Amino acid sequence: MARQGLLAIMAAAAVALSSASVQAQEARQIPRLATGHPDFSGIWQTLSEADYDLEPHAGRRDAPPGPGVVQGGAIPYLPEAIAQRDQNREARAKEDPRLKCWVLGVPRGVYYPAPFQVFQRENDLTLVHQFGHQVRTIATNGSDHPEEAGQELWLGDSRGSWEGDTLVVDVVDFNPETWLDRAGNFHSEQLHVVERWRFVDPDTIAYSATQEDPKVYSRPWTIDLLLHRRRDANFQLIEDYCYTLEYEQYYPHKDGQ
Amino acid sequence: MMAPHPLTAALLLAATASPLAALAQSAPESVMQPPAGGTHWSKEVPVIASGAWNGPRLADGQPDVQGFWSNTISNHSNFTDPQAGPPGEPSDEASLPREQRAPSRVSDPADGQIPYRPEARALQEKFARNFANPTAPEYIEPLARCAPAGVPKSFMWHGYEIRQYPGYVVLLFDSGSRIIRLDDSPHMPKRVKLWNGDSRARWEGNTLVVNVTNNNGKALFGRYGDFMSENARVEERYVFEEGGKRFNYVATFTDPTIYTRPWTATIPARRYTEADEPDGWHYDVHRVNAPGETRHEHGERICVENNGPFGGGAVGVPLDGPIISR
Repeated sequence: MARQGLLAIMAAAAVALSSASVQAQEARQIPRLATGHPDFSGIWQTLSEADYDLEPHAGRRDAPPGPGVVQGGAIPYLPEAIAQRDQNREARAKEDPRLKCWVLGVPRGVYYPAPFQVFQRENDLTLVHQFGHQVRTIATNGSDHPEEAGQELWLGDSRGSWEGDTLVVDVVDFNPETWLDRAGNFHSEQLHVVERWRFVDPDTIAYSATQEDPKVYSRPWTIDLLLHRRRDANFQLIEDYCYTLEYEQYYPHKDGQ
Repeated sequence: MMAPHPLTAALLLAATASPLAALAQSAPESVMQPPAGGTHWSKEVPVIASGAWNGPRLADGQPDVQGFWSNTISNHSNFTDPQAGPPGEPSDEASLPREQRAPSRVSDPADGQIPYRPEARALQEKFARNFANPTAPEYIEPLARCAPAGVPKSFMWHGYEIRQYPGYVVLLFDSGSRIIRLDDSPHMPKRVKLWNGDSRARWEGNTLVVNVTNNNGKALFGRYGDFMSENARVEERYVFEEGGKRFNYVATFTDPTIYTRPWTATIPARRYTEADEPDGWHYDVHRVNAPGETRHEHGERICVENNGPFGGGAVGVPLDGPIISR
């Protein structure tokens, strides 16, 4: 009798356990579009220190310490490009394009420490970055980059495709004005970025970006970081055009000023 | 300086009609004139009644109004006499009898004028007087500095795109963008003031009804300096025609601090599709690069002058150094 009771309890516990794990599994299923592709809609932000310096660094006056997000630790600059990086780094307190509220570019906008919102349809993703309110479209309609090359875009031209549940985005046609971080890491107009977006769980994206630029780097190099869903109650982006701050004081009309 | 981006050219193109052209130091020699008259600008404002929507819907039930749109009567040079030109530079049509031009965008009150309080009218008139020869930073039209065009000027400035998602309508303008939430969550706290305000919306049949609060009043409505203050509330009604080829933007402005009564603006728009020829103003698109593809897409919307001095430079506003320290 005692033994039977124990078995019954164990059986009940086993049922409870397995249904709990099924529920847990369902809860961990990633969101998907009607087409079955992962649905990255939502508001995302990195917790990483990538924007301060992509490479490993100790804490300093203008950056918290960070383990770095570059595979292998260092960006493989060509010897002749290092001087420009050093010059940028020296002047970073004035010359970082972010301080002038310029468009951050790709991939920097993704790991800049401010939220961005993804809106997704079958044929494209729209990324609205809070900083500068810049908008980037990633086409997922099977199209290729425009035939007109050399437009030197701020965000490049993004074409995405699916490898299973991973969104792979090919980005080309940049201008050389943007930096990769606050530490002066940079690229030329020959930058070519391949991003990979993949869910780790419903609230976390593993993001990687491979940079290739024959004018600046000796070989392609890759960064890896996580993006977290902003789940604060009723969270929304707050427009931050930023470049308007210099002249906002003059409007609207004021009496006698 | 970079080579002019298409958007730079478009901005300059619009500016050539005004003395602001003098500020555009890198204006290309062969700037096209903005489309005026003919097939591009109409004098008529169609009547579109609110009612049921019998057209296509998205999976979430919203009327499907996605795509490219542009206003049909004029740019933002003149809010109340849209085809008469900016201050100090009357258009050719300005000398015609008034009824031969498009009506005022002010559809209520009937006199077509914004019912300003006297002190607000004086401020608007001061801006208009100084627009042609700005001697102080506050007389520069903010759009000339790539400021977001805001409410309602965005609907008079270049073509734009509507994208829809469950819970959202997203408007992509050449200067600024708007994320409109389709829910009744609370607005941002009052002290947060924004160029495009904070929007909450719902669909009523063929009409998207949007409440816009948290306005900063800075964008102005156009070159005559018409404006709202940061106390304004705006109720926008986007009334879509049966068939989805047109809509009227009908917005009621309530702001007791500068108006004597609420008033309403009406701005007509039409849809652009792959059947239309791309142009640099209403429909600045290129063909999607895929075999057999007929659809069009828009390039990145970045006003290059975000990233350097433009109008502001002429009156000594430094724009080439750090703006933020965060």
